[in-house]
Amino acid sequence: MRRFGSEARVRERNESAWLLPAEGDVHTNHALRRDMRTYDFDEEVDVVIVGCGAGGGTLAQRLARKGWKVVVFDAGPWWDPDRDWVSDEHGSHHIYWTEPRVIGGGDPVKLGNNNSGRGVGGSMVHFAGYTPRLHPSDFRTYSLDGVGQDWPIAYEDVEPYYEDIEAELPVAGEYWPWGKPHRYPQSPHTIGGNGMAFLRGAGKAGIEVRVGPVAISNGRFGHRGHCIYRGFCLQGCKVNAKASPLITHVPDALAHGAEIRPSCMVSRVLVDARGRATGVEYFHDGVEHRQRAKVVAVAGYSIETPRLLLNSACSLFPDGLCNDHGYVGRYLMVQGAPQTAGRYDEEIRQYKAPPPEVSTEQFYETDPTKPYKRGFSIQCVSPLPIVWAEHVAAQGYWGEVLREYMRDYVHWSVFGALCELLPRYENSVTLADERDRHGLPVAKFDYTMGENDHQLIEAATHVMEDIHHGAGAAEAITIQRYAHLVGGCRMAATEREGVVDGDLRSFAIPNLYITDGSVFPTQGSANPALTIMALAARAADRMRAP
Amino acid sequence: MTTKRGDTGPTPGGRGRFDGYDVLREVHRWDDETKGVVLARLGPVPAVSFFDVREEAAARALLDRLLSQDAEPRIPVLEMVDARLANHVGDGWRHEDMPEDWDAWKQSLAALDKESDLVHGKRFCELDANYQKAIIESIQNMKGDWHGLPAKHVFELWVRYALTAFYSHPWSWNEIGFGGPAYPRGYKNLGIDKREPWEVPERDAHDPVPWARRVKGAQDAHRSGSPGPSGTLPDNEFDEGRGGRDVHEDA
Repeated sequence: MRRFGSEARVRERNESAWLLPAEGDVHTNHALRRDMRTYDFDEEVDVVIVGCGAGGGTLAQRLARKGWKVVVFDAGPWWDPDRDWVSDEHGSHHIYWTEPRVIGGGDPVKLGNNNSGRGVGGSMVHFAGYTPRLHPSDFRTYSLDGVGQDWPIAYEDVEPYYEDIEAELPVAGEYWPWGKPHRYPQSPHTIGGNGMAFLRGAGKAGIEVRVGPVAISNGRFGHRGHCIYRGFCLQGCKVNAKASPLITHVPDALAHGAEIRPSCMVSRVLVDARGRATGVEYFHDGVEHRQRAKVVAVAGYSIETPRLLLNSACSLFPDGLCNDHGYVGRYLMVQGAPQTAGRYDEEIRQYKAPPPEVSTEQFYETDPTKPYKRGFSIQCVSPLPIVWAEHVAAQGYWGEVLREYMRDYVHWSVFGALCELLPRYENSVTLADERDRHGLPVAKFDYTMGENDHQLIEAATHVMEDIHHGAGAAEAITIQRYAHLVGGCRMAATEREGVVDGDLRSFAIPNLYITDGSVFPTQGSANPALTIMALAARAADRMRAP
Repeated sequence: MTTKRGDTGPTPGGRGRFDGYDVLREVHRWDDETKGVVLARLGPVPAVSFFDVREEAAARALLDRLLSQDAEPRIPVLEMVDARLANHVGDGWRHEDMPEDWDAWKQSLAALDKESDLVHGKRFCELDANYQKAIIESIQNMKGDWHGLPAKHVFELWVRYALTAFYSHPWSWNEIGFGGPAYPRGYKNLGIDKREPWEVPERDAHDPVPWARRVKGAQDAHRSGSPGPSGTLPDNEFDEGRGGRDVHEDA
């Protein structure tokens, strides 16, 4: 194992896994929460962070370690995996952001359980667990392929943070041959029927695949237990095996004096007459409060971050904060995520084992022989019954035909693609006319695909069909869908091209940072969680003491 | 082939392929929180409070057709959908050309009766199942506006609520062989054709009736009209004692 990945080295910089209970039945350190340091509203803390997911949770831990006085707000609860999460699809409705939002455009993107978390841990509470890196080419798509936009930073700037975060989650997987080749701190997991079908089919189709990379501990890590292959990763991991900031970064933040304020809906970032952020206004238990701070970091993800900046409009910033050049809420991206199911004579029973198992990035980069730019990755997905029923219904089946396909559940294996859909100015978050129960205008998300996007999705679907047929499937059926959210407050080299710089500091307000997935200028074909954490860790390193 | 008589858990309409399987036999190995959530679905069905009687009648027929629930025991999908809508439990988004889900349900059910009246001079609930299915199919295939709402989004709304309710119920898990909740037990036997000791094989290990033929049979049954009062489908031709057979028939 590499030096930076050793458990002792991880513990030196982030003790979270050792701050969880060591014994089996309890998964929350209640004493750590009870004894948490708290700050007065009137005290000017060093930083308030809005949102405690991949970006906000990581930032909080890093800044608390630097000795900053940190207060983190989250609109949702502070989860206790034992009490709050269940092994049940429909019973997990409460872990998603289900407050009102409006979707439109030519290709509307469903939100809620598809891509929107709430509570401490953010969307990583319900993410499958895949944590691939971006490729070096992702930072230069405009220079290399004439599409998207170049990032103001390079892969090499993020690489050390990838290594750190991979060791802290930790990530399990085989040696990774794509992008910049690298190893993972933990060996790959055992795989189930779905992963085996993927391996078998890819072998026949001549496609390179690897097991991983997943942020699910393969073996004991600190006081976190081994994965028990229960298959409910998307419903919140009750075992503390799958990573989310709730267990990977928040405990260490608490131990270093950070305060977490759950169930607090931040309604506005406050700005003084000189154009500096002074704190935030928020609702808790129906009452409005203010918290003063020297620095504000917004980490509400691609829908709520632009919404908050737009809702914070004031006389100095009449179009919303950081929006002088009209980029707030723009260039929002989702990945095209068709899923193709194959029918096998054997029993696959894909509900056993974590949905994320095996993936390929062989089609990730631009292929000059193809008419489209950029590419896609393919992974196992393993839907549970309700999501599998949606897959069947997407074929137009209902009634008796739906029931017959459903009765055949144990025979189906499902793969999913992540296609790099290109950023477009029109794909945006704006404010709708309607208001939520706080009286705040809700987000309207418009999304429309371009020609390159359609071509990528079609190509990815064909590859998934090839893998299924190679593995012996008699029938393949596909559902068209989207996954993940990034962009909306993109980073750029200058304020004329984006909202924040490469250090995630906003161009318009020098003590306002955006530290979440909304800063991505392009998205690659990688699941975004790892990169969000790495960017937040990097930003924390580069923030000056207030 | 052996059937463990009396061992099979309830399935919707008494149909399924996993003789002797009852997901609830594992309840004692689930965590208390999950038990509470899942077993509540087996408890007393709450009184209908969101739909008025007219809407209720249309919604019952609609949900029965969408899910092919033509015989007892039925999963109480209507009551489950009603409770969700009464509590405004949406999914976190709505299309810009649709009202909130609860309003969309009321409007679309009124439209369903209106459509039925226009075509047949009857309420939707009064039609033969075949006519009901024909109306549903026409909405499914329609592009553009349907009584003031986009047909595509109306159909998707109905299906989304129907599927979430039906496939959250343990009886449907018995029907499809799903292992159900798995904490703190987890799984030990991963891989193709591997089962846990408590999972059961399908009625036949070797699929003597090809999958494609079973699908064809289901499509024929879908088109051929409503199932008989016993809830058994005209499935013997394609099924040869599998797919749609009543697992309780000899119990």
